[in-house]
Amino acid sequence: MLARATSEQGLGRFLELRNIQKWFGGVHALRGIDLTLQLGEAYHLLGENGCGKSTVIKIMSGALEPSAGEIVLDGQAFAALTPIQSLAAGIETVYQDLSLLPNLTVAENVALNEQLVGANGRLARLFDRSRLRQTAEKALATVGLPTDRTFLNTTVADLPLAARQLVAIARAIATRAKLVIMDEPTTSLTRREVDNLIRVVERLRSENVAVLFVTHKLDECYRIGGHAIVFRDGQCVAQGPIKDYSKRQLAELMTGRVIDSERYRTGKPKATELLKVSRLTAPGVQEVSFDVRHGEILGITGLADSGRNELAMAIAGVEPADSGTITLDGRAVSIRRPADAIQHGIGYVPEDRLAEGLFLDKSIFENEIALIITRLSNALGIVDKDEGRAIAARLSEEMRLNTKNLDLPVGALSGGNQQRVLIGRWLSIAPKLLVLHGPTVGVDVGSKDTIYRAIQSLAEAGMGLIIVSDDLPELIQNADRILVMNSGRVVAEFDAEQGSEDQLYRAMLTSKMETVQ
Amino acid sequence: MSASRIEELQESASETRSFSLRDLIRRRPESITFALLVAICVIVAVINPAFLQPSTLIDIGRASVVMGLFALGVFIILAAGGIDVSFTAIAAFTMYSLTVLVLNYFPAMPIVLILLVAILGGMLLGIVNGLLVHHLKVPSLIVTIGTQYLFRGFLLSFIGTVWIMSLPPQMGAFGRMPLFQFESANGAVVTLPFYFLVLPLAALVTWWILNRTLMGRAIFAVGGNANVASRLGYNLRTVQIFLFGYAGALAGLAGIIHVCANRQANPFDLVGTEINVIAAVVLGGARITGGTGTVLGTLLGVLLIVVINSVLVMVGIPSTWQRLVVGIFILLAAAFFVTRQRKK
Repeated sequence: MLARATSEQGLGRFLELRNIQKWFGGVHALRGIDLTLQLGEAYHLLGENGCGKSTVIKIMSGALEPSAGEIVLDGQAFAALTPIQSLAAGIETVYQDLSLLPNLTVAENVALNEQLVGANGRLARLFDRSRLRQTAEKALATVGLPTDRTFLNTTVADLPLAARQLVAIARAIATRAKLVIMDEPTTSLTRREVDNLIRVVERLRSENVAVLFVTHKLDECYRIGGHAIVFRDGQCVAQGPIKDYSKRQLAELMTGRVIDSERYRTGKPKATELLKVSRLTAPGVQEVSFDVRHGEILGITGLADSGRNELAMAIAGVEPADSGTITLDGRAVSIRRPADAIQHGIGYVPEDRLAEGLFLDKSIFENEIALIITRLSNALGIVDKDEGRAIAARLSEEMRLNTKNLDLPVGALSGGNQQRVLIGRWLSIAPKLLVLHGPTVGVDVGSKDTIYRAIQSLAEAGMGLIIVSDDLPELIQNADRILVMNSGRVVAEFDAEQGSEDQLYRAMLTSKMETVQ
Repeated sequence: MSASRIEELQESASETRSFSLRDLIRRRPESITFALLVAICVIVAVINPAFLQPSTLIDIGRASVVMGLFALGVFIILAAGGIDVSFTAIAAFTMYSLTVLVLNYFPAMPIVLILLVAILGGMLLGIVNGLLVHHLKVPSLIVTIGTQYLFRGFLLSFIGTVWIMSLPPQMGAFGRMPLFQFESANGAVVTLPFYFLVLPLAALVTWWILNRTLMGRAIFAVGGNANVASRLGYNLRTVQIFLFGYAGALAGLAGIIHVCANRQANPFDLVGTEINVIAAVVLGGARITGGTGTVLGTLLGVLLIVVINSVLVMVGIPSTWQRLVVGIFILLAAAFFVTRQRKK
């Protein structure tokens, strides 16, 4: 209510981009962007990875200079902004990489910038500890984090990822911002934390703050409302109230092609059993039993603390189980280390592909053959590059990588292509079972489509797949069955064809209903 | 409000409380340095009670001044994620040139002014480092290896290679000036020199800058992640120039104190002790990759190295073993610090 009332008064243009161009070497990343952001409004910047979204954000926050064009901020024209100018004008950014300083405390990460900007970037100033604490306490309380001394003095490197994301958001709202930019702010948040974030956004809008989201989660965009801005290949291809566009239309605008968002599941599981897990107990997992047939896709979901992540890691040997048995193709196997799992033919694609999976500065080729390097090398330890290249080329083909150049460093690829490289690497050992942990986190619509199709063709070839994810539409579209975990146990099982998002979500919360309030 | 998240965080907080010793080591790695220091002192004192004589302790104090000043400079650069190996060359350059200058041109220059010129000279050379590191965008290790050779080569080629045995009188007097003096049991006069005060003073100033000013926070921010820091509005150029300027000033001061204390100026002195100083800082708990460490830890690290260097002889271990012992300690400390990082 309040949000609507003030957003109509706040018709002031806050930030305007006029014909912004950006070249990176020979690449034309932004081809003339015109945008106007008004106070008190919510905007959703949509587009595939590599379409220029991040570049435009960096230009707004002063991290990059545009090659041409004009930025009008509060009526004043600039050719480029510096970070301090942008911050002083009230533009706060929550970057995708969070941009936290890992060695500093929570309080410093949240509230130090207030003092830096207050001093206009000059460093020969005293540092006010009590103000730091007050500002940090207020901002942390807003995003729902603890405000006790221990937490304020915890170094950020010691926090779990979701808490770091909230700390980054707390920093953005710690000062009187006029525009808060959030680059994929909800990737590692649970549903409850997302609800809380949406409340924070509503509050910001009611205080006449503009909010710009960059996200792949269209459902959240519809919940928040506001304007959609769609980018494709460095150009703005559509702008307007988000409710005027359907999901399908947005996906088409982003990719420039028709995306079928219906069910992907094509094949049927075979009758023979591949994996049998019984009474598996691990840290955070209690006596979980289930089975997977050849060619079956099993979805596992639950809240972040439900034990779903720990279950996946126990099967992959990352965090081995304490008790229980795992039977693969009728044989009991003992998995104490990831190497055991690999040897038995169990592949694991971790959730955080950057930290746990890929060598970003190495080439696609080197990443693809990382698991079979011993097999490719002869007695002297010399790697057969030709065979390796042939294998890497085949894997890239199978995963429909959008480049043929295998010498490209993986860091230069978009998120979707990186994920395909990682899945491709596991295919090199021809696993019987592939555990995919959040396979499309931070991946755009077009890449999701390709990854889903690849998953389906793997299942058709007889591989068993387990997808651990909190993206419920993803599970419904791809899996045969979905297990819901809660407090370390499997609390429900759905047939994916019959399950609805609502049912699944309710099952995720069953024993925790009282804390949802 | 996300209740479970808060519970989770509070749970993990209580968990760490129950492993308080491990937590202490993780949060304050210099506690290991302190424990090592105490252990060595106890062992040496048991084997040879002469260690506890005031004269030995005062020797240790006197010996730690120059290394301590160097270490504070290295620490502040390490905290920002850089490294400096040119500080000994800066010290040698400043102390020798200044001694020559005073001897030949300004014999009446008061000692306070001499100290100030040394600080200023060191700072200017340090700023050269800072500008090069920032504008060449080359790792500071490479830049300072280059400037170490440059400063030292310039000193030996153009200023002189002669060993100056008779200092200007005011400098010699400063080196002898006592803070306090007393007669020990065997009748010898034991002196704690006045210049000893410079170390605690410099430590205090460094601590104040690091913990009470925005510059101090900026230094740690840059040490945490320079790209992120610049995105958040920290001016990397200012930080680099300040860092290297400050470390240079400390080196200049250390150089002139070294001359006054030894009552001679040898242009070949000091260079070659860099690794010893960096070892002291790392033993004090600062991570070589930057962003961590404390002034107290740095001082403890310096004391540890000085104690090892000066007391092994007292328990009958040949001085050639000093390096062996220091090496073992560095590896032990590194092993400790690495396990503390893996714990999370």
